[in-house]
Amino acid sequence: MLMTDRAFNQSAPAPSATPVLGAAGRDLRFGWLLFALAWRNLWRNRRRTWLTIGGIAFAVWFLIFARSMQTGTFDIMIDNGARLLPGHLQIQHPNYAEDSTVANSFHTAEAAETLADLSVAQGLLHVSARAQGFALVSVGERSFGAQVIGVEPEIEVQWSGLAAMTRTGRYLAAPGEAVMGVVLARNLGLSVGDEFVLLGTASEGGIAALSSRLVGVFNTGNHALNRAVLQVHLDDFRDAWAMHPAEAHAMVGVANSVTGSEHIAAQLSAALPELAVLNWQDLMPEAQQTRDMKAVSTELLFYVIAIIVGFSVVTTFMMMVFERTQEMGVMIAIGMRPGFIRLQLQIEAMYVAVVGVLSGGTIAALLSLALRGNGIPVPGDMAEIYAQYNIPGRIVPEFDTNAAWSASLLMLIGVQVAAFIPALRIGRLSPVEAIRNES
Amino acid sequence: MSEPVVECIQVRKTYQQEAVPVYALRGVDIQIHQGDFASLSGPSGSGKSTLLNMIGGLDRPDEGEVIVAGTQLSGLSESELAHLRLHKIGFVFQAYNLIPVLSALENVEFILQLQGVGGIQRRQRAQQALESLGLADMAGRRPGELSGGQQQRVAIARAIVTNPALLLADEPTANLDSGTTEELLTLLKHLNQQQGMTIVTATHDPMVMQFTSRRVKLLDGAIAHDEQPVTA
Amino acid sequence: MKLVLQLSLRNILRNRRRNIMLFAAIAVAVAGVSSMNTLIRGFQMDMMDSAVANLTGHYKVHAPGYRDDPSIQRSFQLTQDFTPDFPAADVLGWAPRVRIPAVIMSERETRGVQLVGVDPQAEAISFLGDVPLQGEPLRDVDDGRVLIGKELARQLETRIGRRLVIITQGADGLNRERGFRIAGIYDAEGTGLEKVFVFSGLRPLQDLLDSDAVTEVSVRLVDEAPGLQVRNVLTELFIDLDVKDWQELEPQAAAMYLFADGAIYIWFILMMSALTFGLVNTLVASVMERVKELGMLRALGMGKLLVVSQVVVESSIIMAIGVMVGLVGGYLIFLLISDGLDLSAFAEGVEMAGMSSVLIPVLQWSDFFLVAYLSLILGVLASLYPAWRAVKVDPLEAMRR
Repeated sequence: MLMTDRAFNQSAPAPSATPVLGAAGRDLRFGWLLFALAWRNLWRNRRRTWLTIGGIAFAVWFLIFARSMQTGTFDIMIDNGARLLPGHLQIQHPNYAEDSTVANSFHTAEAAETLADLSVAQGLLHVSARAQGFALVSVGERSFGAQVIGVEPEIEVQWSGLAAMTRTGRYLAAPGEAVMGVVLARNLGLSVGDEFVLLGTASEGGIAALSSRLVGVFNTGNHALNRAVLQVHLDDFRDAWAMHPAEAHAMVGVANSVTGSEHIAAQLSAALPELAVLNWQDLMPEAQQTRDMKAVSTELLFYVIAIIVGFSVVTTFMMMVFERTQEMGVMIAIGMRPGFIRLQLQIEAMYVAVVGVLSGGTIAALLSLALRGNGIPVPGDMAEIYAQYNIPGRIVPEFDTNAAWSASLLMLIGVQVAAFIPALRIGRLSPVEAIRNES
Repeated sequence: MSEPVVECIQVRKTYQQEAVPVYALRGVDIQIHQGDFASLSGPSGSGKSTLLNMIGGLDRPDEGEVIVAGTQLSGLSESELAHLRLHKIGFVFQAYNLIPVLSALENVEFILQLQGVGGIQRRQRAQQALESLGLADMAGRRPGELSGGQQQRVAIARAIVTNPALLLADEPTANLDSGTTEELLTLLKHLNQQQGMTIVTATHDPMVMQFTSRRVKLLDGAIAHDEQPVTA
Repeated sequence: MKLVLQLSLRNILRNRRRNIMLFAAIAVAVAGVSSMNTLIRGFQMDMMDSAVANLTGHYKVHAPGYRDDPSIQRSFQLTQDFTPDFPAADVLGWAPRVRIPAVIMSERETRGVQLVGVDPQAEAISFLGDVPLQGEPLRDVDDGRVLIGKELARQLETRIGRRLVIITQGADGLNRERGFRIAGIYDAEGTGLEKVFVFSGLRPLQDLLDSDAVTEVSVRLVDEAPGLQVRNVLTELFIDLDVKDWQELEPQAAAMYLFADGAIYIWFILMMSALTFGLVNTLVASVMERVKELGMLRALGMGKLLVVSQVVVESSIIMAIGVMVGLVGGYLIFLLISDGLDLSAFAEGVEMAGMSSVLIPVLQWSDFFLVAYLSLILGVLASLYPAWRAVKVDPLEAMRR
């Protein structure tokens, strides 16, 4: 403290002739004492200070923790959603998204090359081609419509959620085999080992026909997939739909992380201007929007909590000003300017906010650290809904640094504002009345 | 005779108390000279505290002029008044005199700090002031750890450490027992006689008046009696 | 008691400025919780409405086994002049339907859909009753044209007036194929409904399938509450058939509905926790400021119980005033947003959750009472520590200060 004081002494301007300017020069040197005074004053009423800090810490904790839970959940949800079927990114014919006909296919060689270049450096784990179309699935006299996806099973088996969720039988491995959703199989009265026929419309208006054998049935918790999706070998699909053997409707990529996949998608976009590159947001727009909506409601809740805490900070500072009225009167009487006392209160507010923000942040950090291993189990009913949204039954929080910064900043500023209101009173304080003030 | 430290010319002050005007001062003329040890006394409502506040620049008269150490107070802004109080006047109040979170030494240093006195010099002067009032051992204690008499002595130390032209004391002994009161008054008298400190105190304690060399009595906002010492 | 009340009131008035802040904090919390409740209720109603309006109804009657094998074989007969004997005031309406999976083909594309034969007059109870429509609606139960969704029309690259071929399985288990002309295209705000449901008149569909049976009867209530009687009527009417309510039929929507109930409490707990810090702080301060006075009252012979009740009553009054202001605030916010909050920025996510994109808040007075009631309990709880501090005051010690 003394060091600082001396430093101020050197930098302070020479005393000026007029008393008012002289005062300004003095003010700089006065700095450290205000900080010391503020700190000591704060602990005159420990319980009250801690309760005030507690409120601030609670607000900060809430936003960080809620966001961390959501970040953790949504990262997994997006990853699981991507791994269920669409992958983290897809390369398609530029018209395919708008018009998903069989004719909108593309030659995969160039895309495959670009992807191969990226894969090692960027953490792209799996790449494979797909062809897809709509077909009538028939067994005897029964027919149902379904989305047929031709895949490279030796690659997709490594990451596909459909492969992981094939509960009866096994995932497809060779041409001539197929897997389908549990509802579709039930509607058709099919069991593993049964044969069935696919009928669709090929690119030139011709008929695509394929006879296949059911080797596995998947049950994903997603009704649409269970009811209307079927996978066959890519070669079978190309044969039946009369596609060129080097053509596909999509190149599907899976990266080692969701964020990583965004970068890869961006680079691919630049490298392949003639093709459409879809990242996870394009493939699963509803996932992103669910995330945004949750974030907004959390934020709303945080703002209301912050306002409530703000009022309690105002109350606390009112009490502090009230209790110290006489003392402040004496300080003004002996020549301290009210501005300094107000500054001192703002410094006290800063201490309160800093301690509150630090403790709230620490608790949130410790909590997410402690839960890193096991996470929080989701109650039964919700787990079912979560399954539909590809959220796992346990939520593992992921400390959200952005939330930590924004909560801290907002509370630091908010507390300053809250302290400012009662401090206004000090400006109007008449020392004579303040000192005489009984109570 | 030299210029007076304080000069009040026709000072008037009226307070509105629930629509009824209360005449606190009705045209007071008084001069306080260098080396005076004056007591302002009178029943409550006589205007003694108001007069003291006027002299101290804590309150402004409705009419009339107060001149302290050659400066006309009426022309000063709030912050110039604060500056004057800080540099020319030492204050001792009845209670709540000290900043509770600062030690005795820090309380004395505090005012020097307000004046912008640098670190080493500040500490030395504060220590000297405490020593001169026999408080060297108490320097590190906070007000809550001091007796009432000790607290008032620290307050006096704080008031004189800036070498003010004038020391104002508003009922400084009101919360003290008679023994401590006598000690404190002896101290003030000593300051007055040895260092020539000009002291004005508002009081209703007869014991204080015994110690002062000039006794001013107020009644209903006017000076009823001004007993000046026979100057040598 | 009157004395306690008076003392408490005076004490609140004594610190008006500070208590105004406290009232404001309580009011913000209560207004926040109660207006949020109206939104959560709105979300719930919307969830239920769209679950119920998605052809589910509050109750639905199926033949046994239909849910596992949705085909015309799993159907049941309705007598010619079937009119169920419901308590008329409770039931909004009922609709007989044939609903079976089918394949639909345009000149260019093929898709799988749910083909629904309806009595258009009876469908006022489902979303079909008020869905925006291009072209013409179905005239009556004999209309042999179809209505399809906007998204399906896009996928099939077809338009109003064109013909579609529909393949589905008849009563004998053999496939039937027939052309249907498109009467109109409905716009269900981009929800999945558009891709799934194709509607035609009930009779022509039955003719195609060689059946005079229906696969379901859906019943919509005016209000969910008196559902049980209706259920009893239905079970008696349709012996040997499955009667299920919407919660059983749409378990995910039902779970979401229940979760929203929980969300109301979560919001309450979070807001009130934030509030408690300030409340306890102020109450303790108000006790500590009165230590002298409390000491004197104790010295005069005021019992501990009276001291405790003074603090508790003070806290309750503060809470009560804050709650009242807050509820009024909550009601005003409700009025402000009663036209609905446009969530279109998040519409896709919202629609995935089964809601429409405009969220219309729903006011339930019972929620307001719940908030008020829980807040008052909290007020009492928050006063316990300060009250304990007040009792701990030693009369002699206090007066000496």
